[in-house]
Amino acid sequence: MTANENDRQSRRKFIKLGIGAGAGVIVGGGLLTAITRAGEAESGEKIKLLSPDGQLMEVDKSHCRSCPATGLEARQGIPNKKMVMVVDLARCRNARKCLDGCQKMHNLPPRIEWIKFFLLRDSEDTSPYWFPKPCFQCNNPPCVKVCPVGATFKRSDGIVLIDNDRCIGCKFCMAACPYSSRVFNWTDPNELREPKGTTYSPETSQPGKVGTVGKCDFCPDMVRIGKLPSCVSSCPNGVFFYGDKNEDVVTNGTDTVRFSELIQQRSAYRFMEELGTEPGVYYLPPVNRLFDYKVGFEDLSEEEIKLYKQEAHITE
Amino acid sequence: MDQNEKTLQNFENFRPQIESISKKGKITIAVLSLIILFGLYALYVQMVKGHIVTGMRDYVIWGLYIVNFIFFIGISYAGALISGILHLLRVQWRTPIIRMAETITVVSTLIGPCYILLCMGRLDRLHHLLLFGRIQSPIAWDVIAITTYLTGSIIFLYLASIRDLAFLRDHPLSVGKWRNPVYKFLAAGYHDTPKQKELLNQLIDLLSIVIIPLAILVHSVLAWIFGMTLRPGWHSTIFAPYFVVAAVYSGTGVLILVMWVFRKIYHLESYITKIHFTYLGILLMILGALYGYFTFSEYLTSWYGSVKWDMAVLYRLFDPTDYWWWFFFAAFIGVLLPIAIIAIPKFRNINSIAFASLIAVFALWIKRYLIIIPTLEAPLLPLHDLRPEYAHYSATWVEWALTVGGVATFFLLFYLFSKFIPIIPIVKIKSSEEMDYLKLRKLTTQRMLKRIMKQVRKDKKVVVVVLILLFVSAGHVGLTQEQLTPRLRLDFVNKSGIRLLNAKVTVKIEGKNTPVADLKVHYFLIGDKTKKPLGIDTTNGDGLTSFTLPADLGAPRSKEGAYTYMACVDSTKEYSGASAEVNIRDVFMLITFHQKDTIKQIMVEAREIGPKGDTLPVQDQKINFYVPRTFTSLKIGEATVVNGRATLDFPVTLPGDSIGNLPIVAKFEDNEAYGTAETNAVINWGKPLPPMQIIHRGLGDVNAPLWMVYTLIILLSLVWFHYMYAIFTVFRIRRLGKKFEALEKTGSGAIQ
Repeated sequence: MTANENDRQSRRKFIKLGIGAGAGVIVGGGLLTAITRAGEAESGEKIKLLSPDGQLMEVDKSHCRSCPATGLEARQGIPNKKMVMVVDLARCRNARKCLDGCQKMHNLPPRIEWIKFFLLRDSEDTSPYWFPKPCFQCNNPPCVKVCPVGATFKRSDGIVLIDNDRCIGCKFCMAACPYSSRVFNWTDPNELREPKGTTYSPETSQPGKVGTVGKCDFCPDMVRIGKLPSCVSSCPNGVFFYGDKNEDVVTNGTDTVRFSELIQQRSAYRFMEELGTEPGVYYLPPVNRLFDYKVGFEDLSEEEIKLYKQEAHITE
Repeated sequence: MDQNEKTLQNFENFRPQIESISKKGKITIAVLSLIILFGLYALYVQMVKGHIVTGMRDYVIWGLYIVNFIFFIGISYAGALISGILHLLRVQWRTPIIRMAETITVVSTLIGPCYILLCMGRLDRLHHLLLFGRIQSPIAWDVIAITTYLTGSIIFLYLASIRDLAFLRDHPLSVGKWRNPVYKFLAAGYHDTPKQKELLNQLIDLLSIVIIPLAILVHSVLAWIFGMTLRPGWHSTIFAPYFVVAAVYSGTGVLILVMWVFRKIYHLESYITKIHFTYLGILLMILGALYGYFTFSEYLTSWYGSVKWDMAVLYRLFDPTDYWWWFFFAAFIGVLLPIAIIAIPKFRNINSIAFASLIAVFALWIKRYLIIIPTLEAPLLPLHDLRPEYAHYSATWVEWALTVGGVATFFLLFYLFSKFIPIIPIVKIKSSEEMDYLKLRKLTTQRMLKRIMKQVRKDKKVVVVVLILLFVSAGHVGLTQEQLTPRLRLDFVNKSGIRLLNAKVTVKIEGKNTPVADLKVHYFLIGDKTKKPLGIDTTNGDGLTSFTLPADLGAPRSKEGAYTYMACVDSTKEYSGASAEVNIRDVFMLITFHQKDTIKQIMVEAREIGPKGDTLPVQDQKINFYVPRTFTSLKIGEATVVNGRATLDFPVTLPGDSIGNLPIVAKFEDNEAYGTAETNAVINWGKPLPPMQIIHRGLGDVNAPLWMVYTLIILLSLVWFHYMYAIFTVFRIRRLGKKFEALEKTGSGAIQ
């Protein structure tokens, strides 16, 4: 009974926080502010959160950023949630703003990329399309199966995290991941930047640890305060939709839609479904595209364009 | 008598081997030690600088170390399988080679796992394997299997050496006397009494039975580390037997090489004869054919099936500009040449067989490289990395130094061991007894630079902008006092009766609306002729402020029933003043829920407050309905309020919480008359969430599936029970020996 009560209690709290943050975003208006916000230092600033029943709550911004769960709590997941992502391939033009946002938010040096970009082409007769790839947060994660110490784990909210305090750096998970989602801290990840905070949390992977594995973590610390992950909010084209499958809603910051309707009407698919990994990331096929794939070459070096063309078998 | 003389003669032959080290031997030790020291230096470099000094990167996460690991565990088969099987089959010619075989097993099983440790990013957390070990992981299987295997191999080698140790105890050495007490201790009071003999033979038989399946399991587990992943070239059902066959093949090859080397340096021509080379050579040939068959089967299957990813690996192996020549050597030369040399009697002699073995061993090392590296270089998604060291693996000097160091350690340990105990068993026993004894047994820098340059350029831009701004603003302050004009936006929000004024201050910089922080916003209530101050708030980092209005404003409404609010910012040095006004009528809303048969409807009643506090139904206003969710609110519909009422069909498919509760918000948005006004209610019409399913056991969970736990416990207890029994029996032999010695002292020589 009490557990149920607690669930409800905390759920209500989340909704309150969620609404408040949602209202904040709406009032704050637009993505520009969201982008600028990601880079700011949060020091003693207060954010006002509005609950649905009109209560005004004041939460310290920096406090919010440093309230990710640690220890056992971080292994369990946020109750009654099941986080999913839908990536709209029709909108992506390889702007890579999501990666910039991600690296800023996770305090990653430029060489560590948790989101990767591919130019895929399914067959010679089809057209190439840009394919941004976060960690798929598989429901049957091959990486979790093979970890000898349980340093990487699947949570009840669908998120696969890594405990860098426990990781022994054997890299078996990297071999097991068929999507090359995991990266290794070959050198100290804090050498270029000051680590955020001092208490390690698997929900933020901060401060980073040398000799351990890292990957996209679906930003559970942001979910806890009802804020969208940086990749979602910094995408100029609204490619990423993120949300709770249990609520059947995903949002890219500007559009909020029913998850089930979106993936059914737009024929969403999961990448390499045949591998049986049951990814938690869905892709909307690149039909009626907003951009020609060549737009994605704009900011790239000759060499990189060459590599992409080679991978996608483009001969021109 | 005859037997003892033969043993004594053997001993005399081997006395120089264990009593002195020749000049060449000393040079060998010195050279090997130097190589090992170099390896240790490489290890030191890797420890200090981290794994960045290796050629391993995000895609090719394992390199030479894993190759060496498989290689050393592979050659350990020499002892386990060859001596185990030869012993159980009571093959006569095995006697002179079994100790070498067993020593290969122990030494290579000691060295092999060290390479796994070299691959670990956090060696300081090795104990986590004990603290948090998960038996679902093939690495855990490997750790368990290899420790068990190593223990078994050491016991096996020891049991098979007891007779020689006892002999050495009875014939003390004159040089290096420190060894004599060690022999005495290790000989465990063995005096070859009938009972002791029986126990020892029984133990050796037992251990060779245990060690054979164990050896097969160890290499299968090793293959499963790769086979369990979803990688092309690894995810193959025949991987375990393929690894086992390849291992025995290379193990036999190494055994022949070791025989050849020791035959040369210790002049064992009379012990190790052409017979041994021929027989082992034929074994090598059969194993080579078997290995070739497995190779053919593996690559034919994946080529014929032509799955995209398999083909990606195959193309690289068959590409002359890529791995083809290595593959050609490993899969063709390494199989066909040894077979040809040994199969044709004309070519078959000691040196050629040793050469064939060398080819086989070298080819197998290459093969392991070709198993690991090309697969890792061909991930399912394109390996998109401009950094050349990420895209292509090439081992660094550190890895090569540690590889060579490992090989040198192998030879050094082997050589030193041969100084401790004769490399060939010297105690010769009657051929009838021999049946039992002797056992035998067992993206690139450029992309990074580009990024950094981009960053720098961006930063430069920022610096320039800041400088210009500073300059301009300084100019403004100093000269013209020109200020930036902020934009002030004022919104009225009514949240379930709590009225808020939200203001946002932005300023246009380079065409972008940038929020202004730390600006004081004054709020006023504007009357006909009055301007009543309500309060002051400061903008936050997003340029936002929020002010909660008191329930009673203490002022009359206008004729239309509205209040006029104003927000303004005072002029400062940087910014000019700005103000904004809104004219808002208050509205009351109430959500109710109605169900008729199967139709569920949300109804909202909205009444606005008139000039004298009376209420009027809202007319012809658009109202939106939302469901608040984690990040944003989902719009479920809109309706027009007519006569103060609006209805909406309830979205019955929307999930609620665990008991189906669903919050509903009705909202006038940016309404000219009411600003933003909303109210909310909760109804349990949502689809209840199914309770969270918690799976307690599984491959991906904390606890392993039960069958796995039971299998492991049964297997381990079977093996370790035999180890315990062996150790216990050694103590029994020791007790018997003490009894024997006591009897001998009292003179009643004849026993039993």
